[in-house]
Amino acid sequence: MAAADSPSAALQRRDLCSRGIRLAGKMRSDVIDLLDTYVERQGLDASASVAAAVEGVPVAAAERWDEQTGTQRLLENLAAYRAFRALLAQMLEEQREQLGEADAALGRALAAVLLQVSAFSYHLEELLRLESHGPPSEERAACPPPPQLSLFERKLRGLGVLRELAQWAVRSARDLRQLAKPGPGSSSAPSPPESP
Amino acid sequence: MFSGWNWVARGFYLLLNICSFEVSGGLVQSCGHIIPESPVLALGSNFTALCILNESCLDFGNIYANQIIWKIKNRVVPKEQYHEINRTVSSVTFNDTSSLATPLTCNVLADGQIEQNIYGITVTIGLPPEKPRNLSCIVYQLSKLTYPMTCTWDPGRHTFLDTQFRLKYRWPQENFPDCIPKDVNNSCTITDVQFFVNLEVWVEAANALGKAESDPLVLDPIEIVKPLSPHNLSVNSGILPTVLKLSWENRISATVMKLKFNIRYRIISDTSWMQVPPEDTASPRTSFSVQGLRPYTEYIFSIRCMKEDGVGYWSDWSEEKTGVTTEDKPSKGPPIWRIIDASRSPASWTVHLMWKALHPFEANGVILRYEVTVRANSSLSSPPEKYNVNTTNLTLKLPNGTYEVTVVAHNRVGASPPSVLLIPASNSKAPVKNVRTLPKDGKLLVAWTAPNSYVLKYVIEWCLVSNSSDCIIEWQNEPGNVQGTYLKGDIKPFKCYLITVYPLYADGQGSGQSVKAYLQQDRPSKGPTVQTKKVGKAEAVLTWNHLTVDEQNGFIRSYTIFYKTVNGNETAVTVDPSKTEYTLSSLTSDTLYTVRMMAYTDEGGRSGPDFTFTTQKFGKGEIEAIVVPVCLAFLLIVLLGVLFCFNKRDLIKKHIWPIVPDPSKSNIAQWSPQVPAKHTFSSKDQMYPEGSFTDVSVVEIEADEKKSFSEQDLKPFDLLKKEKSTSEGHSSGIGGSSCMSSPRQSVSDSDEGETTQNTSSTVQYSTVVLSGYRDQTPVQVFSRSESTQPLLDSEERSEDHAGGSDSTPRRQWYFKRNGGQDENNTDRPCFERTKQITSANEGDLLGFAQLQISGQSSQLLGLGVEKNTQEAALSDVLQSSTEGQTMRPETVEGSPPSVDEMPKSYLPQTVRQGGYMPQ
Repeated sequence: MAAADSPSAALQRRDLCSRGIRLAGKMRSDVIDLLDTYVERQGLDASASVAAAVEGVPVAAAERWDEQTGTQRLLENLAAYRAFRALLAQMLEEQREQLGEADAALGRALAAVLLQVSAFSYHLEELLRLESHGPPSEERAACPPPPQLSLFERKLRGLGVLRELAQWAVRSARDLRQLAKPGPGSSSAPSPPESP
Repeated sequence: MFSGWNWVARGFYLLLNICSFEVSGGLVQSCGHIIPESPVLALGSNFTALCILNESCLDFGNIYANQIIWKIKNRVVPKEQYHEINRTVSSVTFNDTSSLATPLTCNVLADGQIEQNIYGITVTIGLPPEKPRNLSCIVYQLSKLTYPMTCTWDPGRHTFLDTQFRLKYRWPQENFPDCIPKDVNNSCTITDVQFFVNLEVWVEAANALGKAESDPLVLDPIEIVKPLSPHNLSVNSGILPTVLKLSWENRISATVMKLKFNIRYRIISDTSWMQVPPEDTASPRTSFSVQGLRPYTEYIFSIRCMKEDGVGYWSDWSEEKTGVTTEDKPSKGPPIWRIIDASRSPASWTVHLMWKALHPFEANGVILRYEVTVRANSSLSSPPEKYNVNTTNLTLKLPNGTYEVTVVAHNRVGASPPSVLLIPASNSKAPVKNVRTLPKDGKLLVAWTAPNSYVLKYVIEWCLVSNSSDCIIEWQNEPGNVQGTYLKGDIKPFKCYLITVYPLYADGQGSGQSVKAYLQQDRPSKGPTVQTKKVGKAEAVLTWNHLTVDEQNGFIRSYTIFYKTVNGNETAVTVDPSKTEYTLSSLTSDTLYTVRMMAYTDEGGRSGPDFTFTTQKFGKGEIEAIVVPVCLAFLLIVLLGVLFCFNKRDLIKKHIWPIVPDPSKSNIAQWSPQVPAKHTFSSKDQMYPEGSFTDVSVVEIEADEKKSFSEQDLKPFDLLKKEKSTSEGHSSGIGGSSCMSSPRQSVSDSDEGETTQNTSSTVQYSTVVLSGYRDQTPVQVFSRSESTQPLLDSEERSEDHAGGSDSTPRRQWYFKRNGGQDENNTDRPCFERTKQITSANEGDLLGFAQLQISGQSSQLLGLGVEKNTQEAALSDVLQSSTEGQTMRPETVEGSPPSVDEMPKSYLPQTVRQGGYMPQ
């Protein structure tokens, strides 16, 4: 918190938040586009329901979201995006194994989203560093090894990952807006009730 | 010869030994090697190479390091650069590698004479890479999701080596594969970049001599995006005639980049673009309404975008789209003017009303018709007359008066405001002053000074002045608050324009003020043709015609007359351009002059054709001044002479024209030469007691008698013959010579010096009758005159004194005349005188004359011809006879005491001298 007091740190945090918000927005936009492509290419129904909580996929919904501190928000986001990075990398691997180079566009889109997730993770780590909390180690947030699933299950799981990532993009934007607000409440004080 | 081959064989053997040393192992080993092997060296650095000999070669070939020779290509390296380290190692050092070349070889002199190569290396010289500079990157949007980033840099100097450039980029926690340029060394494109994360970009250059990196560039790629331009632009007419609505689609997501826009537009006929104020389009949008446009006008639109905060690059301009605004009422009435023709009828005018079609931006639509209203101000009660026309002119015949003419233009939407023109009875209002023109920017500016009264507007009227066409009037309106304007029309250079400015007042119009002007002047197309009107002795009046307007090409500022003589310098005279005549003065008389004339405008002059004239020899009245006095003087002299002659007529007559007695009237005695003794002197003395006679004898000389002349006698004849040829022209026959004795004759007379009769004042005339009458036996008759004619004395004397060849024929002719055989006019006085003198014995002479005419004419003529050939001889004879008469009397007759004492009997002396025998 001490670091947040310096003007340059506040400026840097605001810049990181601003760009993080826009990155989240672009990520959500790209993920939405990717979802359409994914559903089409994987032969899925866009309305197909996925289990509410896919195993290993962080859930964007949060109880008492408005009561979270900034650090909490950052930590939750970081954990989620690290998980998404692993999931997306796995999906990209599976997609390459499944389709090879035949569907390069889907692979490029997945790779692009993966990069954005990585970039957003970097933003979150920087923000945590500014909050005087060093980012947690990668191992601590590492996802458990993926279960052995059938191809269809993997497709559905991928669909679930992308949908949840889109949700997280929305939530992350709101979290960063919350962080960007000036004042001490930005990090610890509870905000008005607002659901992501 | 044998020894040479021996050396070659030994050398070959040694080479085999060296090269196939230790062949037993199956490998060919050389006797040494160079360290370093194929080095890459920096240009300008120093370099040392070692040649190391194998130990085995030392023993076998007796090769040692001191025998090593270093060579670059085929050039031996100076031994100063060698250094023998030990018996098997030699080094060579180069302080500057720029002197190196490939290959560098190590050689030995086998047996001290044959050079053998031990080893060679390839040396590569180059430069280490420079640090790449000026790295910059730009992200081009290729599609909605494709954002390749292209970075460019300055690779630095040429290294002469294979240098690799790599564009490196990374996030703080993630590295990306390098971007390796293809075919170039100064740019590379990263296929996809992620926005909103700072990317560190740098360039690495590496070759065998080193590696260099540019300064890193840290940037968020979103800040260097050049987005795709908006597309699907459409233009729609709005409700208002001055508004068009644009719509488009953006090709970059708002989540990625918020955009601002530039909209540009222009009227389709224009070339310059107008732009919507940027602040109006500084926010994200997909449509915009452009306002303030002209009604019924076609516009072209185009749009571009960039990141809203202005960081990054503008997109290219989108494709152009056109749109047309809707119609509106004409914004103003058409400008109107008139030409009044009052010449046809004194009571009415023919008024040509003219108005101009509205400009498109004034018409605001398609003009369907014009409504013209003519209202007479004098009779307000009468209703105005209305005309609907589709053209832009109307001709009316109106009674003299004041009228108000109104023109209104109509289009589909409505009518224009009316244009009003007053047609006054006369242009009695104040005119403008000081109308002037100035060519400017290829147009003709007309300026004037406004009158003191308030002017509603001005009408500027102009027309092209030309000989070949009528003055077709063009005109334009200008508002009343201006004092100058450019002529709106096709104003051509080198043409004369007559420009008139009329001020229009609320209650009438002022009279027009005119000026002539040229947009651009040039030299005249030809010069004036000059000619003379009048040429005198020292002056010439030149005249010429003015150049026509079409020939002038500008204002004629002056004429210059150039004139010169054939060899003289040209003289120039400048003449006022208003003149058509000039008098050249101080010319030389009777001289050929060439004159030409140049006409000058501001841009130069052109010469007309040459004209030549010759001044007169005498001035006016000079001839009269000479001739008249001369004539008067001559007249006076003649008059005085006449008066003098009249006064002295007696004296003159006495001396010049004395009364000559007519021999025919004299008493002449008949005598015969055969019987001279019969004549008694006493009787003659009795008849002419107061004077003595000189006997005249006529001698006929045969041509053959010339032969009898002695040579001595012929000498003077030759001289006379010559003289005769020159004096023949003076002989005018017997009469002339007898009447007037010329000075020349007198001179010859004096030259002769001697006459036979100068002492005698009385002449005894005689006539010789040569033939008989009517077959009668011719009788030699000498008729003697008793006349004491003094003239004959002088005449004979002059005849004799004519001297030379003339004397004889004249003498002959004289006697012919005396015989009456020829009556020449010139002889007439003599003949008449003779006749007068002989009137006393007229009867005898009559018979004598008849005899001559009938019997002697042919003979005498023949004699005349003969005399032509023999006249010299005759003259000599005659001269001799006269001499005989004058000089020889002493010898013949002893001593004649005096003329008075001379015997009166006639005996020609020629008889004795020339053998004369009277027939």
